[in-house]
Amino acid sequence: MSVVLGYVATLGVYFCIYNIFAFGLNIQFGYAGILDFTVITFMAIGGYIAGVAVLPPEQRGTEIFYVLGWNLPWPIALLLGMVAAGLLGFLIGLVALRRLRSDYLAIVTLASGTIVYDVINNYNKLFDGAAGLVGVPQPYTSVFGVNPNTYTWYFLAVSAVIMLVCWYVANRIYSSPLGRTMRAIREDMDVAEAFGKDAFRVRMLAMVIGCMFVGLGGVLTIAYVSALSPAGWTTGETFVIWAALIVGGKANNWGAVVGSFLVAVLFNEATRFLPAIPGSPNLVSDIRNMCIGGMVIVTLWFRPQGVVPERKARFPQLPVRGATTPVSVAVGATGGAGSAG
Amino acid sequence: MNLFFLALGFGVVTASVLALASVGLSLQFGVTNFVNFAYGAYLAFGMFFTYTLDVTAHVPFWLAAVVATLLTGLVSVVVDRLVIEPFVRRRTSPFFLLIVTFGLQLVLLNVIQAVWGVGFESFTTGTGTPLHLGPFSITGDQLGIVVLAVVAMVLVHLLLTRTTLGKSMRAMSDDSSLAKVSGIDTGRVTMWTWFVSGCLAGLGGITLALNTVSFQAYTGNTFLFVIFAAVILGGIGQIYGAMLGALCIGLAVELSGLWIPGAYKLDVAFGVLVLALLLRPQGLIATVGKA
Amino acid sequence: MIAAGGNGRSPGARTLLSVEGLVRHFGGVRAVDGASFTIEEGTISALIGPNGSGKTTTVNLIAGALRPQAGRVAFDGVDIAGRLPHQVAGHRLIRTFQISREFAAMTVLENLMVSPLHQSGERLWNVLFRPGRYRAEERAHLEQALAVLDEFGLYAKRDDYAGNLSGGQKRLLELARAVMAEPRLLLLDEPMAGINPALTDRVAEHVLRLRDAGVTFLLVEHNLEIVERICDHVVVLALGSTLATGTMAELRQDEAVVRAYLTGGGA
Repeated sequence: MSVVLGYVATLGVYFCIYNIFAFGLNIQFGYAGILDFTVITFMAIGGYIAGVAVLPPEQRGTEIFYVLGWNLPWPIALLLGMVAAGLLGFLIGLVALRRLRSDYLAIVTLASGTIVYDVINNYNKLFDGAAGLVGVPQPYTSVFGVNPNTYTWYFLAVSAVIMLVCWYVANRIYSSPLGRTMRAIREDMDVAEAFGKDAFRVRMLAMVIGCMFVGLGGVLTIAYVSALSPAGWTTGETFVIWAALIVGGKANNWGAVVGSFLVAVLFNEATRFLPAIPGSPNLVSDIRNMCIGGMVIVTLWFRPQGVVPERKARFPQLPVRGATTPVSVAVGATGGAGSAG
Repeated sequence: MNLFFLALGFGVVTASVLALASVGLSLQFGVTNFVNFAYGAYLAFGMFFTYTLDVTAHVPFWLAAVVATLLTGLVSVVVDRLVIEPFVRRRTSPFFLLIVTFGLQLVLLNVIQAVWGVGFESFTTGTGTPLHLGPFSITGDQLGIVVLAVVAMVLVHLLLTRTTLGKSMRAMSDDSSLAKVSGIDTGRVTMWTWFVSGCLAGLGGITLALNTVSFQAYTGNTFLFVIFAAVILGGIGQIYGAMLGALCIGLAVELSGLWIPGAYKLDVAFGVLVLALLLRPQGLIATVGKA
Repeated sequence: MIAAGGNGRSPGARTLLSVEGLVRHFGGVRAVDGASFTIEEGTISALIGPNGSGKTTTVNLIAGALRPQAGRVAFDGVDIAGRLPHQVAGHRLIRTFQISREFAAMTVLENLMVSPLHQSGERLWNVLFRPGRYRAEERAHLEQALAVLDEFGLYAKRDDYAGNLSGGQKRLLELARAVMAEPRLLLLDEPMAGINPALTDRVAEHVLRLRDAGVTFLLVEHNLEIVERICDHVVVLALGSTLATGTMAELRQDEAVVRAYLTGGGA
């Protein structure tokens, strides 16, 4: 029984982490219309930096190499991981977010991701190359104990709290004038600029905040799994997050939650346990990736707004100053599912 | 000095591979006005069709390559008709078309992995002994790649300047709504564009595989950003620009190998891409209104 | 050619916008080639000229969407030539576009709420840590937006997606949205294009009403009848440079203007 419960808790942790990824991508893509085709790279940077921040200094003669090794407390490592991911997002944004066509933006993110992957994979002095970091200490084992079954539950609680903070921040931004301006830039950048909006600044904000969210998810990932290697963050993983957001519903954080559950937890995790087909050990994962790619295309065709579409903005009811008509009409914007996508 | 000429020779070979792939991508971009992120998978189709014909079916290599090139063109057309065209016809914005082609990348690459596996393969041609041409030293395969690329570029040039189809492609590339009004059958031209683009991708993949000797499903996809670099450097949608961009990037990549470790030489292409975007986002060859 | 001294309604009026020797070439095409004119505060001016005379390019140059290769654009004494669009808009110089470009997936009310310049709720720090800072401001904007929507007859549509409005309503929304930014100068690029005569009259009424409220206008317009009816001052462009300026009545007497319009070229 405890094995099943432990598994459920593990899925819960993944659910929280994917929610955070999806919120991050939602801020970039759903709010501001930024095509970030290398989401997973920011997860990796967040994870690696947090990992090497909590690890002890590398041991001579072990043939395991990594930078930093600062033995830092986990909360500080968490912040460092977020900042590192945000910084990488900022650098990529410097090139990608200038007034260029959206294809260039997508190309730059994709190319940057390839380069970062190449460097981390080949240059083993950074994060031990293709072998990756292993044995990263899990946080608070002294408080929560090392029993994996109970530890998972504690970790789930920590992830859930962090996820809820992210949820709050993401929604706060969405409903603020800043979020409104992001959406205006998504709809038509030229017009938004004609209304005095500094599109570069606002999109850079969305880019960096999104990257920090994703980096935070990476911090949680490496803390839970206590290892991270290049095999764990390929383009396919980026696509899981995209699929979660597109299927669930872009520009709506409920959509991000629903999509994370459907794609990242239900579909992705459930299919991990299918038995390998003898003779072609990769067939299951190949088919899973095909399905994830296909899911996005099919969703864009049949329900481009996703399972939970973007909601109409709600404003408080106010009388009109010097109104020529009495304001008696009940406002239809009660959050219902708008169909215009 | 010897090393320099060696690298220069390799540079010309890489540029040739790149020219084939870049011209295909740029041509399709010009006509349809969105980037195909699944393009790396088309390179892989070229490689693996050739592999099956050459290694499994024992067809002579050159024949295998020709058939594989045409088959890749066919795949390109079929994928366009089945998946991309319906979205285009529904007037999906280029923005979402990018996501569709990005999704296609994942689907197609995994189809290739499911069919041909994840391991590294190579053709039966072998590496061959290096030929010495003056100061240069390249293998017969590499010489073949250069000759093939030159022939293909001349054919593309003739296609674009001498045939009705090619002129229609250029017209659509300049202004697709004007092209439609002036009586060009845009649907037919688009289909042929995907075919030619697919064929060039296939050729690019085959030559890339010849040049790197061993290859797997993702070999073409990791090369994708180098292709993007050449296309953007040349000016997106510009055919001759793509050729020029390919030459610059090819030489830059191989010559940089004189100073930096080989594992990172492709990253030089990324450097060029960033510089190009910062300094001259409209490309080396810029035209009015196509920025 | 009418002398430059003869422009403007009231001689004592203050110059709000002055454009001097504006140049922009595209390849070999001289889209704008030395255009010069001034706009007095509180007036409605029209920018007219045959197709290809550089009207829209001029608007884009003033609004910062294009960089001029030479020339000066002074807005209220400040040189704004070569500034970025959002910087130009920050001076309360607001432009609209030739075709309606509403924020389609946002509601009509939201479209207006985007407009106010320099909103303190657009700063991340305020959003996360000091929401009280912008709540009052947001409420004031909301009241203002509802009032503007009411004036433009779009109040009932406030919670509809802007993309679902009719063509005419989108035109009104463009204007309403621009008004929300509290502009000093409004650059309207063909505000009457493609709308029915009844709506044209309504747009004209709004423009006149706003002029009386202190907004200065520069309209790119083809409909000379409307220009004659509402514009105080007219600038005629031909081949990218200023051919003549004056009132419509004065220009009707001008041979060069008549010839430019009839032949589609310059003198």
